Amino acid sequence: MVWIGVISMLVAALIFPGIIGKVKAKVGGRKGPGLLQPVFDVIRLFNKGTVYSSTTGIIFRIAPLVYFASLLVVLALIPFGGQKGILSFEGDFVFFAYLLAVGKFMMIIAAMDTGSGFEGMGANREALYSMLVEPAFFILMGSLALFAGSTSFYDLYNSLHIKTHLSYLTAITAIYVLVYVALVENSRLPVDDPKTHLELTMVHEVMILDHSGFDLALITMANWLKFSVFGTLIANFLLPYSLPHYAQIGLFFLIQFTFACTVGGLESFRARNKMAKNPQFIIMLSAIAILVFLTALIISEKFSLN
Amino acid sequence: MTYFFIIVYSITLVYFALTERVKKFIALLAIQGVLLFGIVFFNLNQIALAEFLFILVETIVVKSVVIPVFLNKVRRDNKLKRVHETEIPVFYSIMAVTGMLMVSFFMSNYLHHQHIHTKFFTVAIASVVFGIYFIIIHKNVFSHLVGYLIIENGIFLLSLAVGSDIPMLVNLAVLLDVLMGVLVIGIFVNRVSDKFQSTNIDELAKLKD
Repeated sequence: MVWIGVISMLVAALIFPGIIGKVKAKVGGRKGPGLLQPVFDVIRLFNKGTVYSSTTGIIFRIAPLVYFASLLVVLALIPFGGQKGILSFEGDFVFFAYLLAVGKFMMIIAAMDTGSGFEGMGANREALYSMLVEPAFFILMGSLALFAGSTSFYDLYNSLHIKTHLSYLTAITAIYVLVYVALVENSRLPVDDPKTHLELTMVHEVMILDHSGFDLALITMANWLKFSVFGTLIANFLLPYSLPHYAQIGLFFLIQFTFACTVGGLESFRARNKMAKNPQFIIMLSAIAILVFLTALIISEKFSLN
Repeated sequence: MTYFFIIVYSITLVYFALTERVKKFIALLAIQGVLLFGIVFFNLNQIALAEFLFILVETIVVKSVVIPVFLNKVRRDNKLKRVHETEIPVFYSIMAVTGMLMVSFFMSNYLHHQHIHTKFFTVAIASVVFGIYFIIIHKNVFSHLVGYLIIENGIFLLSLAVGSDIPMLVNLAVLLDVLMGVLVIGIFVNRVSDKFQSTNIDELAKLKD
């Protein structure tokens, strides 16, 4: 079941961008590319050679590999269908967050390595948003850890299936925060607009401008994996562990599909925030996460209220 | 179930700090009215018809329908769309409201008294303090009215915290006060807007005998 989970996450990652594209096309009244078009694009990139600028060093060459590898290891940490992940230990959600951070850090210093001022701007933006979104994720996971009395992903999710009104509220709020954390992490609306490739507005993808061919393909796939990883975190909130395995896998894909449709729908109907408004939007996620934390204190009766 | 509404109420406070559109302020006030009804309804020990009707009128009818409809009219008459005049960046306001909520929640934890329902204190104090903060950071008369209503909602929750000690007549008087306050300030907003073509309070400094 554990390996099936990893394979399911990989499959979900492959079709995720296709679904988003399809939803956006349908809403926009177009036919749109096929579901697997992004995969074909990546295959084409894999067949191309990579061009390196003479100003770049070894960091620039290994960054995409480290980024992709960090995401692959992350897959092993996430529980699936009520089973522990391949790697499961106390504090694994901290390891999870910092593995993602390692990948991001490598991409940031790779962007700085090119010596381009524009890429520096992109790196700045990435560092700022990661810094702002991190408290939201940690407060959220910390609150769940308070429920569980444990800091492993598996225990967090298992303890959440206590059926009270407040734990439903916690789950809904946590899903809301996670969806937006995923959107910020993947440079999607409302924080960034993936449709734009104009120099002034494309700051979210500046960091990968100098990557080409094989490296670019790895970065693209790592971004898909990130979506799938967050989708699985969300799915774990919703999947009832008592169901048989095949039903859980079916539901998992249904949730990933809904998540992709939500992203596509948001991108079709919502306008991008003004750049200056992004920090306040992201810090709002932390504020909501703090409310989840207070709710967790109430549920676990750490607060004595009458 | 009361806690459910209390937490959602605190989320609306965070959104008050985040949003800058007048239309959303009004929508959030209407939502708060419904939440207050939920909080009171799930806290009634036995439902007496008169009491139930009064609460229904006070929360749903007045707070969620009458006041928002009136505010919408004021908004339309004065062509208010977005409030630009916050003195403090929204980023800090969100941090401030989060701080207020945390202080308020933790303070309620230490208030032990058998006649006081501390669970209402959790958001009541935050709501009152945030209402005052909201008035301070905005320069617009209309936003002051919104801040006043947030404070009033907080006071409503405080009155629940002390439970049955407040007789219905007092509640009725408060309700009438609020309604009159809203009407008077609403007319005031219209007059200020007619005179100065803006609802910015800085304009009031130009008033002379």
